[in-house]
Amino acid sequence: MKLRLNKTVAAVATSALLLVGVPAFSAASASGAAAKPTFVIGYQGPLTGGNAQLGLNMVYGVQLAVNNANKLNTLPFKLKVAKYDDQGSGTIAPAQAQAAIANKNLVAVVGPAFSTATRNSEVYYSVASVATVSPSATNPLLTLNKPDNNFFRMVFGDDVQGAADAKFLKDKGLTKLQIVDDGSFYGSGLAAVVEKYSRASGATVDTNTLPATSNCGGTASTTQYAGAASAAVAANYTGIFYGGYYCDLGLFLGALASAGYHGAVMSGDGSEDPALITGTTPASAANGVYISAGGGGAGGNLSGKLATQYKALSGFAASTALYASQAYDATNIIIEALKKTWKTRGGLHSLRLATVLQIHKTNWKGITGKVRFNNDGSLVGSSKGAINFFQVVSGAITQVGHS
Amino acid sequence: MSGIFQFLSAHFHILHITFWPLLVGGIANGFIYSLIAIGYTMVYGVLRLINFAHSEIFMAGGFASYFLLHALIGHSTPSTGGSILFMALGMLSGGLCGMLVAVILERVAYRPLRRRNAPKLAYLISAIGASYFMFNLAGKEFGRYNLSMAQPFVNHSLFTIFGAPVQMYYIVIVAISAAMLFLLDRIVATTKLGRGIRAVAQDAETASLMGVNIDQTIVVTFMLGGFFGGLAGFLFGMSSGVVYTMGFTPALKAFTAAVLGGIGNVRGAMIGGLLLGIVESFSIAFVNGAFIDVVAFAILVLVLLVRPTGILGEQLGRSA
Repeated sequence: MKLRLNKTVAAVATSALLLVGVPAFSAASASGAAAKPTFVIGYQGPLTGGNAQLGLNMVYGVQLAVNNANKLNTLPFKLKVAKYDDQGSGTIAPAQAQAAIANKNLVAVVGPAFSTATRNSEVYYSVASVATVSPSATNPLLTLNKPDNNFFRMVFGDDVQGAADAKFLKDKGLTKLQIVDDGSFYGSGLAAVVEKYSRASGATVDTNTLPATSNCGGTASTTQYAGAASAAVAANYTGIFYGGYYCDLGLFLGALASAGYHGAVMSGDGSEDPALITGTTPASAANGVYISAGGGGAGGNLSGKLATQYKALSGFAASTALYASQAYDATNIIIEALKKTWKTRGGLHSLRLATVLQIHKTNWKGITGKVRFNNDGSLVGSSKGAINFFQVVSGAITQVGHS
Repeated sequence: MSGIFQFLSAHFHILHITFWPLLVGGIANGFIYSLIAIGYTMVYGVLRLINFAHSEIFMAGGFASYFLLHALIGHSTPSTGGSILFMALGMLSGGLCGMLVAVILERVAYRPLRRRNAPKLAYLISAIGASYFMFNLAGKEFGRYNLSMAQPFVNHSLFTIFGAPVQMYYIVIVAISAAMLFLLDRIVATTKLGRGIRAVAQDAETASLMGVNIDQTIVVTFMLGGFFGGLAGFLFGMSSGVVYTMGFTPALKAFTAAVLGGIGNVRGAMIGGLLLGIVESFSIAFVNGAFIDVVAFAILVLVLLVRPTGILGEQLGRSA
């Protein structure tokens, strides 16, 4: 009887321990008390598909931050990266977001990278209280009227970029504009802002939508660009603004060049990628194009030792990897928050929620500058100088100024 | 009401200025659709099968010429003689690769089914499976970025029609496609091979009793369709670049063109392709660019409502 009682007491005690959660989190390694728990930081963005380069730029930034954190060995936990490839597509994104949420060790996500993918993923992340820190999703609506947002971004929204772009076009003396978008949440959002500010400053504006083609992950015909280019030449626009991504812009530029368009072309951060030049036929058709991008521009902030480590990891140079530095900072912000929250009791959801709340308190001096977030997840600070302008000169994206 | 008038007058105004460039561009694109549509229509003629993997024959042709021209030309600008040579090499590499892929496809994906008298649905699934296999393989092997093709010639406007500049690229496409389609039409109409293809299309069983080698005729049909598909891949790639998903939309359009002209009918495919190309080209200027496919497919439905068998009707066996 005594023996049986002892057994019962032991069983109750064990259950109580499990319930209270001495191993604070299910991720805690089962291999022994001394072993550190492992947490996963997810990355969601395009890793394949026509616009994969932007996603690859970021995922190596995430991996670099995690590698360096693990190497320091001062953290009370181990970190791992899990990749969720949404191909930048709003249709694939929800499944990837759900896969990330289902990962029992995942605390927070760097990304999603693209705005449409973000909008469609946030439906799930917000319910699961998973913090998503995007290096690049810039559609203004992602943070507009979203108190206590679980979504944060490392760059200013397209309201800032679009206003700067409209001013840039005006300063260049371009007053007869066509504003084209690719119909995506990001592209049409940016185009709408440019349109609003251009009209306000007195420009004549026509608009058109040319959806992403099957050469670039969409389903529209590439033949649409020839007709659009002819129409643009006939309408005699002095400037065309394109809200969309580099792959389709490249096709449009080729068509504009063949149709004999001599005006200026400008695009936003979705086009800021060296693949714009390799994907344009002929490559010379990309010359002269203006591009804007927020937050440190072409990832030049990964410098010195970090740039070397990045190159070793990714195989390509950090200096041209747009958003790599934002991804690096976003990862460190999550790690910083996790240092405070990793002991949170009450299971996975509590840990994730605590991490969201902790990220709201972020005051981090990263390689992209000082980072703090508004309650809606947008970046705090003066947007003056936040947008850099580039131009393709002899086949290379060269900085020509900033806002 | 005045808003509608404003809209119409603005768009008609654009159409007025751009009529000729849109027509020229539309004809050139239409010819590319025609080249692809040939493959659908001929295979349908002999096998009563929609070869949904034809989009990947198109892609394979595009990649073959991309790799060859990339190695030969790179970033240099060829001389006039060089341009002609590289064009010929581009066409040959694209066409032959398309032909090779089509033959392999017939051997691996269709012939085993034919031997077992499989239902038509099985062919369809086999075709879709082969298509997915091939484009994903291409994505894995060649990367998933749009690759810009080395240019055999410098594209510039050669002359003007009613003030509209006509580009070299369009002239080249129209000239090559028209010559190729004429050649094919003659092959089908006058040669022994063509007679065989027509006989199998009309009545395969009787044709075999009359001494036509059905297997051989089917392979030859795939080869011809494959050559034209691969060639179209090269011509398309010259302006749009090549990527593993490049076949999806053009091939769907070409299939539409084949149905529009009357599936199984070689001349119908040519006319259907041209018509679709021109309609598409105008719809972009007339309505928002996002409506290009809406307009194209609405016209397809309208034509089919009036003529369910397509413009020329299904008549490969009797054509020419």
